[in-house]
Amino acid sequence: MNEPQGKPPVGPIEPGQLPVVKAPDSIWRSIESSLNVPERRTSRFRVWQWAAALVAVIGIVSWYATRQQLPGWQVSRLEGNPSVDQIKVGEWLQTDASSRARITVGNIGVVDVEPNTRVRLVAASPTEHRLTLERGEISAVVTAPPRLFLVDTPASTAVDLGCAYKIKTDESGNGVLRVTSGWVSLEWKGRESLVPAGADCRTHSRTGPGTPYFADATETLQRALATFDLGSTDSLTSILSEARVRDTLTLWHLLSRVEPADRIRVVDRMTELVPLPESVSRDKVLQLDPATLKSWREELAWKW
Amino acid sequence: MVVSLSDPEISEIIESCRRGDREAFRALYEAYKDKVYSIALYFFHGDSAAAGDATQQVFLKLITSIQSFRGNSGFSTWLHRLVVNTCLDGSRRNKSREQPAEPADLARIADPASQDEEQVRRQVAGRVQLALSSLPAKLRMPILLRYFEDLSYAEMAEALQCSAGTVASRLNQGHKLLAQKLEKLRR
Repeated sequence: MNEPQGKPPVGPIEPGQLPVVKAPDSIWRSIESSLNVPERRTSRFRVWQWAAALVAVIGIVSWYATRQQLPGWQVSRLEGNPSVDQIKVGEWLQTDASSRARITVGNIGVVDVEPNTRVRLVAASPTEHRLTLERGEISAVVTAPPRLFLVDTPASTAVDLGCAYKIKTDESGNGVLRVTSGWVSLEWKGRESLVPAGADCRTHSRTGPGTPYFADATETLQRALATFDLGSTDSLTSILSEARVRDTLTLWHLLSRVEPADRIRVVDRMTELVPLPESVSRDKVLQLDPATLKSWREELAWKW
Repeated sequence: MVVSLSDPEISEIIESCRRGDREAFRALYEAYKDKVYSIALYFFHGDSAAAGDATQQVFLKLITSIQSFRGNSGFSTWLHRLVVNTCLDGSRRNKSREQPAEPADLARIADPASQDEEQVRRQVAGRVQLALSSLPAKLRMPILLRYFEDLSYAEMAEALQCSAGTVASRLNQGHKLLAQKLEKLRR
């Protein structure tokens, strides 16, 4: 079928019935103050405590001789007294209990490194910006084409799809991702979880990315999902009964994570909540046809 | 998103923005702010706080990522995508408290200075806004883009990240639903 061309019709709204509204002046003031952010938090410590309190640690010396040639990112202090102002490929940055640092990721965004965190810069090229988060927590705000900024953790790789998020992990890989803007794809050993703004996703040392859920989902659903992600399918009944329309985010991910018999139950519940679009075939959903699942997800995403 | 700037002017402003020129950012903001804010306001059912937040985020994203803007897809397409994604993100974050505003509230927002002689016009505008507000997000956004931006099918498809056929189908569905709702509200 040919794609429509040109300009579509305006429809039943007549000119003047939907006036352009003037943006309040306060918006620019907020933008300006955000741009001016030196973002320093007021300290509760005295100077001598700052000295004792430390610090971010410098990384790696094995490549010290070639350090100057390696690409790197700027590091600035948010709290504490980090002793590095740049992190080069291959180096580690570590914060202690009272230190926070900000890494400027080329010209595509920033990563705030929270206390007790250890990160390593793996790649800083025009086609790949990559960090390893060994433990602790980082917040990333990235405005770049999808899949350009990646964070590896022990049990997942967070692939930026144009977004802002926080990710926390311990050394074994147990942790959680919270997305505040855009989308993040959590990937690990062929498993993928797509997490939109407002949603969380746990990671597990044994199984990698868990099933994403909206932060406002019921506690019962969240608890049941935690059990499900660890291998207990008994909690599926509870997940299905607790699911609301926007929890089709969670149910969509479950389609490929349950046994065929349970898949029918998941599809039934999803179509109870949101009718199946005409363009999506139930049979193909049950067969896990990738194009059909993608098409359904794109329709459902308007409800998320 | 055609405002009062010509394409060469926009290119020049973007180049200045890339060099970190704050005045150029301001010029870009002034050129597009009202339409961005209006789309967000009608998308968020007249919630001026949500619309203000979304507008701020759109321009912050734009300013912080202007270095990575390659110009392949055109500035207005890029801006439209930012607007669509930011509105949808905001809607996801605030889903639990999202509800349509009353028509009178929307009419006041649209024209806070209007007085009695404008009453009829405001009532009509209020009805349109209420009807629009009651549409599902996936039908509401294409209509707002079409109405405020006069985009082609191809441009809307890029902004909404779907095919031109899907845009046509959603617009058609949205217009039908809107006409039905307006008809009901007229009675």
